[in-house]
Amino acid sequence: MKSKEKIKVLLTKAYLDAHDRGMRYVAQRLMEAGMEVVLTRYGAIPEIVTTALQEDVDVVGISCSTGGHLIVCSKVIELLRKHNAKGKLVILGGIIPDDDRAELQEIGVAKSFGPGSDPQHIIDYIRSHVAKAREQASSSAARQL
Amino acid sequence: MAESEQGEALEERWQRAFDRKYPGKEFKATTRSGIALKPVYGAEDIEGISQEDIGLPGLYSYTRGIYPVQYQFQAFKNQLVHGYGLPEHTRERMDLLTKEGMTGYFGERIHNLAYDLVSQNGYDPDDPAVEGKAGLGGVAVYSARDMEALFHDMPLDRSAVVHIVREPSMVMLAMYIVAAERMGFAQEQLRGNSMNACYSRPFWDTVGFPPKNTLKLMVELVKYCTNEMPSWNTTNFTGYVKEEAGATAIQEVAFTLAAHIALVGECMKAGLTPSDFIPRFSFQMAHGNDFFEEIAKIRALRRMWAKINKERFGCEDARSLQARIYSQTAGSALTAQQPLNNVVRAALHTLGAVLAGTNAVQTASYDEALSIPSEEAATLALRTQQIVLEETNIPNVSDPLGGSYYVEWLTSRFEQEVYGLLSKIEERGGYVRCWESGWLKAEVVKSAYEWRERVNRCEEIVIGLNKYAVEEQQRVPAFSYSPNLQRIAIERVQRLREQRDNAKTMAALEKLSEEARSVEVSNEGKGYLMPAIIEAARADATLGEMMAVLRQVFGWGYW
Repeated sequence: MKSKEKIKVLLTKAYLDAHDRGMRYVAQRLMEAGMEVVLTRYGAIPEIVTTALQEDVDVVGISCSTGGHLIVCSKVIELLRKHNAKGKLVILGGIIPDDDRAELQEIGVAKSFGPGSDPQHIIDYIRSHVAKAREQASSSAARQL
Repeated sequence: MAESEQGEALEERWQRAFDRKYPGKEFKATTRSGIALKPVYGAEDIEGISQEDIGLPGLYSYTRGIYPVQYQFQAFKNQLVHGYGLPEHTRERMDLLTKEGMTGYFGERIHNLAYDLVSQNGYDPDDPAVEGKAGLGGVAVYSARDMEALFHDMPLDRSAVVHIVREPSMVMLAMYIVAAERMGFAQEQLRGNSMNACYSRPFWDTVGFPPKNTLKLMVELVKYCTNEMPSWNTTNFTGYVKEEAGATAIQEVAFTLAAHIALVGECMKAGLTPSDFIPRFSFQMAHGNDFFEEIAKIRALRRMWAKINKERFGCEDARSLQARIYSQTAGSALTAQQPLNNVVRAALHTLGAVLAGTNAVQTASYDEALSIPSEEAATLALRTQQIVLEETNIPNVSDPLGGSYYVEWLTSRFEQEVYGLLSKIEERGGYVRCWESGWLKAEVVKSAYEWRERVNRCEEIVIGLNKYAVEEQQRVPAFSYSPNLQRIAIERVQRLREQRDNAKTMAALEKLSEEARSVEVSNEGKGYLMPAIIEAARADATLGEMMAVLRQVFGWGYW
């Protein structure tokens, strides 16, 4: 009965990247909006996927303020696919140059939220996409029955 | 109270004039730190401030500046942060900015160098924990050889170099000393500063040494330089990272001074005399949006530094009482929306820092919310400083705001607020205890949250974001990294490991480990770590290898 469960979001950022102000603020707002937030740091990139699978989150939110987001995102999405977890919504926050947006979309990042993003937009975006993803998951489960 | 000819107080006459003009109206405003303001200040507001607290520049309490004149003979340094990619990429930027006029004191070269995420945190680029991060956010330097590649043919005895790293401060300095040595310069000829700012981890949220051992390691750097490199600036107290993490101006100054108090205490335990090492401490403070509060903050900090070092640590000599401050315009005040507006913001911040009389300024580039600075944006930041210094006539008179009723009142009021917060920290057991308990971090996270909520409610205006927003965004040329950065950085470090005399390197690392253990177990500053680190750097140990030894001995994690 996952559709009635709380939305669970992983928010994570490299240990090396000190710019945690935005991520912590978003975490607080998502919690206030009734979501469950797993807030972590990662060292090696696969740790993001390990945490996402262990915690069975709906959303993987990666924060990156120092470049390197293309490498991180492509690796995370590849690993999620490998673990049959491509239904998880991958979103990105931080300093993301406009020029990278097309490539991010190609990689499979659902959306990136740059500096100054309205937190309510992030909340609404997550709610509508997770609802859709859960619907799809339950209808495909029903088909399998 | 100032009396008029009729015997009526000025303030009362003003109030009557106000009531006639604006019947029933009330004016309400606060600074960004929450200090309540009146609509106007007068002579009465500064009556209680002592002559010593205002005074003149170059005289105790140094509120108005640390030298008798401010910029007339010694302009503020163009301390622009730079660094990206491989050493040769950064060197290109260093030479460009120097050619365009970036100068330190008395025409010296100055380089305020950001190291990449990998070296900043003490790793080599082939460590799995740092995949994809080499050369990002700063320059990729992992050995004395990389350091030589960065500085080759530079007159290091006539250059000021700032190494922006925290935990690896000692290792980075050791690699610089060895590179300089190979270039023919002795360590006592070197000028510049180490950050030694590992204590700021509650705000600079990364992995590092446990709090108590952090202080021990900071003392080791201070101890070595005090003995061997008397003109090297050992410790940079960084308020900037606190402000960027969300701290109010009051928190920024209080938490910074609390860290100073803790470090001086530890240095004294290790047998050092305050007036021998305090003159080599300096500050990196943010300069953000509240124009006058930021100016009052810098003036109050100079006054408090003088008082604390005199009254608490018994310093008498002027150099121990003069706070040398480098102002960094606030990156967090910049927006990704309408990025050209950031040119104006950074110019106002720069102007404020200059009116506050700081000693060096970093002006943020307008593209900081989008990427690391492009060549064009970095040059424009330098031009901003040159325009403020050379076109406005402002530097002709020192502390031009001194004596302003508002500025003097706010400076003293700000000082009181900081003392209040400092006593709260002391009641909670001091800086290290407040770090260990998570209180420092929690206070700053709370301030960051409250600020953003005020922005959401439009109580705090951010032009282009919550007011005058437009659909179409300005496009600015974004900086992009050269491809193959990771591969080349990894190849270089691996080649070094193959080429060097590995028996010698391993012996030096073993010696470092022994020395580290004796520092770790001692509470009286026994052991002497820095010479062993320099020896390892001489034997071409990499940054990651030296840091691995320190991590193993002193502990490493997320505090």
